[in-house]
Amino acid sequence: MSVLALMLADSRFPGGGHAHSGGLEEAAARGLVRTEADLPAFLSGRLRTAGVLAAVFAAAAAHSAAGRVDNWSTLDEELDARTPSSAQRSASRAQGRATARAAAAMAVPSVDNVCGSTLRVLLAATPRPHHAIVLGAVIASPPDAALVAAYLSVSGPASASVRLLGLDPLRVNGSLAALEPLLRSVAADAAASAALDPAALPAPGAPALDLLAEEHDRHHREEVRLFAS
Amino acid sequence: MRARAHLRVERDGAGRHVVRELRSAAPLTLLPARTNGTALVHLVSSAATPLGGDDLALTVEVGPHAELTLVGVAATVALPGPHGAPSRSSVRLTLAPGASVAYLPEPTVVTGRACHESVLVAELAGNATLRAREVLVLGRVGERPGTLTTAVTASRDARPLVRQHLRVGDRELDASVASLAGKRVLATELYLDGSTPAAASGEWWSCTPLAAGGTLTTALADDAVTAVRRLGLAAAARG
Repeated sequence: MSVLALMLADSRFPGGGHAHSGGLEEAAARGLVRTEADLPAFLSGRLRTAGVLAAVFAAAAAHSAAGRVDNWSTLDEELDARTPSSAQRSASRAQGRATARAAAAMAVPSVDNVCGSTLRVLLAATPRPHHAIVLGAVIASPPDAALVAAYLSVSGPASASVRLLGLDPLRVNGSLAALEPLLRSVAADAAASAALDPAALPAPGAPALDLLAEEHDRHHREEVRLFAS
Repeated sequence: MRARAHLRVERDGAGRHVVRELRSAAPLTLLPARTNGTALVHLVSSAATPLGGDDLALTVEVGPHAELTLVGVAATVALPGPHGAPSRSSVRLTLAPGASVAYLPEPTVVTGRACHESVLVAELAGNATLRAREVLVLGRVGERPGTLTTAVTASRDARPLVRQHLRVGDRELDASVASLAGKRVLATELYLDGSTPAAASGEWWSCTPLAAGGTLTTALADDAVTAVRRLGLAAAARG
């Protein structure tokens, strides 16, 4: 895996990821996740739905970046069609924009020469790109991009659970590590679909997660919430 | 059982919405009803179906400015077949510019050991409008569901509006807060009419604008009556 990919997967990467709980805050507010014991099911369910979708589009975007294919608008509208929740689309685009800004400011040769031009083309086509698509465009390797996207789909909610519920950070981290085989298979499947026609990419839905995202967004506007999503 | 049914509705010179072609294929039986306005067709299942191994397909074409309401009369109960083969039912709707379709089937109940695949494809042209409801019930009362996969695809002038696949019957995923949160009934209604209402939500229901225009209302509940009531709240929020 490239250093660039490691940096993007790091929770300290200034791509705005810290502001998103991936539905965990709303789930915690409703008492659906209370203790360390509730976390594994939440994380694996998230990984198998939203995580798969993010991995699939990160891999497809990486495939386009590696092959210098300018299909960014198509990928953007295909991901929109798979994200019926407007709150989820906003969260994805906010993180995408912040990640693109941070990546564009990384003054290293691989960024300037390889993904710098890709990012410029991507941002010209879609000024507020989806997060998964930016990850793919920057990492440019379908397996690495898929793994980073899949990992980020659960690492953010895991750390949010520590902050929101005061869960034991070591046990939370253990739950995250236990997802390793699932993360590998999600990323491998996503990389295998990277070259498909974007219209034919998988489209896993997450009805409850979408409902929680919409409710979270409403509460976020009406009262104080720690996370933006 | 393999069945191919077809329905074609057009608007005639006098402005009436007329069923021009109606080909039932048991167990997919189409019954037109007399109305003054929109063409109304009831979709009746004339046998216990779908059973494992069944392959049922309905194609519907609606001409320019024609209106069709296609309603179910009874729940679809997906049952296992004798040889463990999956069953499949697909509906393909093709709408010309100005056409308007309301597709309102009754709930689909996924019984234990059933293995069913449901596909809905809607191709809209120009300013055609579609309203499509789907109510999925996981098992009869006290029963764990078999497996169901649903695929909903809608496009307008070949550009994607909605693509959503769902898998039901995986115990871990069904129970997960991400997928169905342990609820037994999922009800959704898609309004592809170019509307972009403000997002609204409540306890286990939401009404959200789609990126390319239109609205999706969603409700989860432990029973179908509550799910449909919540879907009604979401529809009311749509304005």
